Amino acid sequence: MELIALIIIDAMFAAVPAVGFAMVFNVPKKMLIYCAVGGAFAHSLRFLLMDFGLHIEWATLIASSSMGFLGLYWSRKRLIPRPVFTVASVIPMIPGSFAFTTMIGLVELNTAGYSVELMQIITENGLKTLFILGALSFGLALPSILIYRGRPIV
Amino acid sequence: MSLSHEQQTELTRIAVTAGQILHQHGAESRLVEQTTQRIGVALGAQSIELSVSSDAIVITSLFKGNCVTTTRRCYDRGINMQMVCDVLRICIMLEKSLLEADQVKERLTRLKPYKYNRWLVVFMIGLSCSSFSHFFGGDLAVYITTFFASSGAMILRQELAHRHHNPFVNFALAAFVATTIASIGVIYEFGENPQIAMAASVLLLVPGFPLINAVSDMLKGHISTGIARWVFATLLSISVAIGIVASMSLTNVSGWL
Repeated sequence: MELIALIIIDAMFAAVPAVGFAMVFNVPKKMLIYCAVGGAFAHSLRFLLMDFGLHIEWATLIASSSMGFLGLYWSRKRLIPRPVFTVASVIPMIPGSFAFTTMIGLVELNTAGYSVELMQIITENGLKTLFILGALSFGLALPSILIYRGRPIV
Repeated sequence: MSLSHEQQTELTRIAVTAGQILHQHGAESRLVEQTTQRIGVALGAQSIELSVSSDAIVITSLFKGNCVTTTRRCYDRGINMQMVCDVLRICIMLEKSLLEADQVKERLTRLKPYKYNRWLVVFMIGLSCSSFSHFFGGDLAVYITTFFASSGAMILRQELAHRHHNPFVNFALAAFVATTIASIGVIYEFGENPQIAMAASVLLLVPGFPLINAVSDMLKGHISTGIARWVFATLLSISVAIGIVASMSLTNVSGWL
């Protein structure tokens, strides 16, 4: 019961950035609701999977590929290219904090000199960024890689 | 069906305009390629060959051994999904023969990028970054600090983008402003863990769209455009990091590492 409440709160907080960034990308007004639903769905699915003990990369891959297939359905239904909903929906899952920690670590490494702790932070965060980002984009591209293979979706 | 040389030139121009609009407004390379080819073929060309690079497209239309080639430079106009939707809608209507060639041309030149009200966007981005602070475990005070820090950064970002400043300078300054406002929260100890606000308030500057486009371009075979987008996104993150470090060394507050 407590888990369901946590998931609902997570979904609500994930819908806000999905809509906010969709507006920065100038997604048409009628599509904003899809971005909100998609963002809430994808992030809460990842939250649930991570709660079951899955690593963040695999949870991201599963969440983003489900979002890819959901986007495929919406895109066929509304005749709108897929990135319009899918990219805004996965924005809450982008590893921004990891990426910035890596870059700040690199700047610090230059000024403060080499240290093992700093290098550990840079390597771990950098690899996390790369793998999460790869999982995210690969999951979104999955429908067109597996099913459509070069044919246009809409 | 037969095409005169003039008609073929006109067709090529229409197709390249569509491709240019898509490329300028942040569509991935595969979408640019497919849509341009579909428009060209629907207008009567036998085939359309095109090469998409990071800042230009080159297109050749073929019809009975006659080739017409043209190049367009694609300056970045900022991501605008509404333009991408509109071009694709024109393409679908053309394929279902609801439009003629001159109507397509007229509609493509008439397209205007729609922009949301900037204050609404500032408000929503403020709420978005505050929601990120909730994911990092912040309480209500941190939520409010993040809201003001990221709204301030977003106002500056829009203002500088409006004046066509260099994106790297823009992102570094916006990161500086966000971190400085958030570090006020750390100095006066707003909330349980005010460092979270420093991490969450710069998340509006993550180049998410270029990064996702970069990986999906590379996955779909456009390696060189993918690498160009990746490098651009990495440079943007480095300039954000420099803005953050500059602010942290001025205020002597450390929220990262």
